[in-house]
Amino acid sequence: MDYQVILNGETYNVAIEEIDAHEEPIKAAAPMPQATAPAIGRSAEHIRQKPGKWNILHQDRVQRMQAAARLVQAGKIVDADNTVALIETIIKPGDKVNVEGNNQKQADFLSECLSLVDPSKIHDLHIVQSSIALKEHLDIFEKGIAKKLDFSFSGPQADRLARFIHEGKVELGSIHTYMELFGRYFIDLTPRVALVAAYQADKNGNLYTGFNTEDTPVIVEATRFKQGIVVAQVNEIVDELPRVDIPGDWVDFVVQSPRLFYVEPLFTRDPALISDAQVLRAMMAIKGIYAEYGIQRVNHGIGFDTAAIELLLPTYGEELGLKGKICTHFALNPHPTLIPAIESGWVSSIHCFGGELGMEEYIQNRPDIFFTGPDGTLRSNRAYGQMAGHYALDMFIGGTLQIDRFGNSSTATMDRISGFGGAPNMGTDAGGRRHASNAWLKCGDEYGMKAQLTGDMPRGKKLVVQLQETFREKMAPGIVDRLDAWDLAKKAGLPLPPVMIYGDDLTHLVTEEGIAYLHRCADIEERTAAIQAVAGYTDVGLEANESKTRELRQRGLVRTPEDLKIDTSRANRSMLAARSVRDLVRWSGGLYHPPARFKNW
Amino acid sequence: MKAWEELISSSFYEATARQRAHGLVDAGTFNELGGPNKRLKSPHLPELGEAVSFDDGVVTGVGRIGARPVFVISQEGRFIGGAVGEVGGAKTTAIFQMALRLHDKIAKKYPEDASLRAPAIIYSFETGGVRLHEANAGLLAHAEQMELIQECRGKVPVISLIGSKVGCFGGMGFVSISTDVVVMSELGRIGLTGPEVIEQEMGKKEFDSSDRALIYRTTGGKHKTIMRDCSFLVDDTIGAFRDQVKTLLNMPYEQLKKYRSIGSLKLVQEQLSLVALAAVLQPKDSTDVWAHFGNDNPEGIPDMELEEFCRKAKLRHREVE
Amino acid sequence: MALHEISFLIEPQEGYESIPVDWAHNGVVGSGDMELLMQKTDSAAVQVNIVTPVAGYDAIWEKVLRKFVAEARLGGVSIEINDNNSTPYVVATRLKQGLLEAKAGERE
Repeated sequence: MDYQVILNGETYNVAIEEIDAHEEPIKAAAPMPQATAPAIGRSAEHIRQKPGKWNILHQDRVQRMQAAARLVQAGKIVDADNTVALIETIIKPGDKVNVEGNNQKQADFLSECLSLVDPSKIHDLHIVQSSIALKEHLDIFEKGIAKKLDFSFSGPQADRLARFIHEGKVELGSIHTYMELFGRYFIDLTPRVALVAAYQADKNGNLYTGFNTEDTPVIVEATRFKQGIVVAQVNEIVDELPRVDIPGDWVDFVVQSPRLFYVEPLFTRDPALISDAQVLRAMMAIKGIYAEYGIQRVNHGIGFDTAAIELLLPTYGEELGLKGKICTHFALNPHPTLIPAIESGWVSSIHCFGGELGMEEYIQNRPDIFFTGPDGTLRSNRAYGQMAGHYALDMFIGGTLQIDRFGNSSTATMDRISGFGGAPNMGTDAGGRRHASNAWLKCGDEYGMKAQLTGDMPRGKKLVVQLQETFREKMAPGIVDRLDAWDLAKKAGLPLPPVMIYGDDLTHLVTEEGIAYLHRCADIEERTAAIQAVAGYTDVGLEANESKTRELRQRGLVRTPEDLKIDTSRANRSMLAARSVRDLVRWSGGLYHPPARFKNW
Repeated sequence: MKAWEELISSSFYEATARQRAHGLVDAGTFNELGGPNKRLKSPHLPELGEAVSFDDGVVTGVGRIGARPVFVISQEGRFIGGAVGEVGGAKTTAIFQMALRLHDKIAKKYPEDASLRAPAIIYSFETGGVRLHEANAGLLAHAEQMELIQECRGKVPVISLIGSKVGCFGGMGFVSISTDVVVMSELGRIGLTGPEVIEQEMGKKEFDSSDRALIYRTTGGKHKTIMRDCSFLVDDTIGAFRDQVKTLLNMPYEQLKKYRSIGSLKLVQEQLSLVALAAVLQPKDSTDVWAHFGNDNPEGIPDMELEEFCRKAKLRHREVE
Repeated sequence: MALHEISFLIEPQEGYESIPVDWAHNGVVGSGDMELLMQKTDSAAVQVNIVTPVAGYDAIWEKVLRKFVAEARLGGVSIEINDNNSTPYVVATRLKQGLLEAKAGERE
């Protein structure tokens, strides 16, 4: 028995008996008698394909869309008050569900609504999403709405997540990098339903994600092109969008959220909090690495060390005559601390993974530097940014929590599962890279184990640099004998310790004591000796052999500030091009508008 | 210690108490009294396992500005938030007493122009108020200082300088306002209850202590200037504060004392009229108050640079001049 | 819960020098920071006294101080430290700065 259904301008032919039972006859846009019609049945994914039946997913989608039709007002708009009902209608138990969110923007209203569904109707969901950042992201596991989790980054919920896994509330699939997870969206973790966030929509579902486009394109594409359903929460519904970031026919429902979606200003570093030790490490990195290799294409990890580097470019970098020679191209979120370098003419191009609160107007006024749309505003894109960071950079530089004697590093501690985010894709040598650059060739040429691996064949190497304090606050060692990640893996039943950057990818380690040029080492013993040489008074550092350290310094495998001819008495905050957020605003000519929490005026 | 020339161009906000003390007076004239080599440490903190300091968090001494002896009290916010304890409090009161004694000597010797030869006290506040670890002694120090400020009236000008990281909060907020003149930078803050405590007691809706812009709108230098609690708003350099002090020291005492916020019945009445205004105005934010005093673009005030602010901002009209 | 005190003597090297002033002071006892007071003494050995809320790092303190005294060829001086959770890098830096200060400074 075939029904022809017209919904949102699409025509569907539905053979009703093929669909997993739903009592209501399908009538286009006919209002349902009850307020909340339960979504009965199982996730379509559990239906095994039978030869000759190739559109089960499509039919399942149509059935869900039909059931939800009663909730739709004009076009694709669903009233915010009906959002929980909408979710209960379009999601079925066992579905793979993506709630958009990363370390920056969050589809927080939809996330909250998902946590309010009736667990007797919606349960055992398999959550596939970038980040576990909001309380609600984990509440759904506590309530039994969700069961299994595949994710990338957790950050603020890291300790609760570790506890949930330990208590069996969360069945952990895998912890991924952003790129891996995006990849799996197109292979075996395709969302059945995606709940995404945008600034604006029109009634046809076209979305403006603008500045914070971030993960939206990749999620929507994977979901909608595999017959899934896409719901967008938007800050406002308008007649005309500044530009279309996501075409309306990829979006099924639009909800005007009662509040603006949350954005974390994660990449804002207050220059007032940069320490003298950070200035010293930054000076060492600029002279001993950026200048030495002529690093032009780079990604900076989050942190005060890299903020210090950015703020030393117009001062120390200028003094060393490096303008135009280093730091011309970035894959980077719009770090406010980069403003002085941009304004001083150091930077040609920046592609952004995401946005950063307060940088909107500045970016709009620097279109030669940033990727902006026809409307003039930034378009960030995490998937492309990750790709660019993996393949098109000569260096990644960042910091970590712990590095072991082999150079493996991790941000995991015993009680926190913080995940990976994007750093491993930046901090790894792309095996598939084939184009050459001077920095890449020089690093490859110096590679001490090259002859053993590829004989006499020339090959470059990406620089992967960690800036590390030997001790953090309260004497927590930054260089350790054994990573806490081992204990975490054991406790949480992970198949392997979560390592952010593996030792064989790490080329340089910078501490207050010096730089270890690890890739120049001939074998693992020598690498460990080089790490020990810069590990200061940590247990690892105390094992350093004085004569071996001397030899490593003579051979240029280890260089101290003295070897680099850096006057350590100059390593203080007065070297910074900006020493406060207010200074950054001044550098920007008033175009940078920092969030209130960063304004001390 | 940086060279004096470097000190005066340094940020007042970032400077240590000792750097401020050296930079505020003429080059090379600061003579620290009760300095670190005297090891005047708190006897209470070790009992509680808290770190101690050889100066107990306050730098005291005497220097010169021009011909005048200038006594300096400079609090160190990095050490327990600049909180006032027994030893630091005693060092501070001793400075007041020394200044008063020196004044009496000079007045005897030069009865004609004592007011331009007399010593002054500059007090660089960076404190959250009383040190809870030794609260009784700390509170007593507050009271003694209030009393000594009264004794200084007509004799020794007392000038408050506020522009350091911690600001000036708790009971010390009262102490600073009781002096003859308050000089601030826009980074300076004066208040009684700190932002975190207000949030803790009254809730985030009443006061969001993570909103730094809000904190500055309610306690910062610009607000205090509009309200006339602060008489001079200066740049964030030690030199700018020093220049203002120099200007003030060249004024006849009769002019100087006009900057006082309290100390007479009329001034108290004026303060009370402000309380009444708050009840009538029911301001939701400082910007409402700024607008009331005639600023037509109050939202733009925080972003103004100092020069523009000084040119454009409309300040509260003072009844008592 | 009293403060932890560490004291030790460091024998100076041949040709050691004391500081050119009676005493010198450097640093602020902020969180993660420390102050030191160096004072000229009559005995050659360097007397070190450290007061800190943190116990358990006596050996590291001694290593950092011994390295500093050896590199600076210091003797005839006492070093008193009030600490509040400094890392070894901060300690080494403040010691170097304190010595520079002592060498440059003229005090009463």
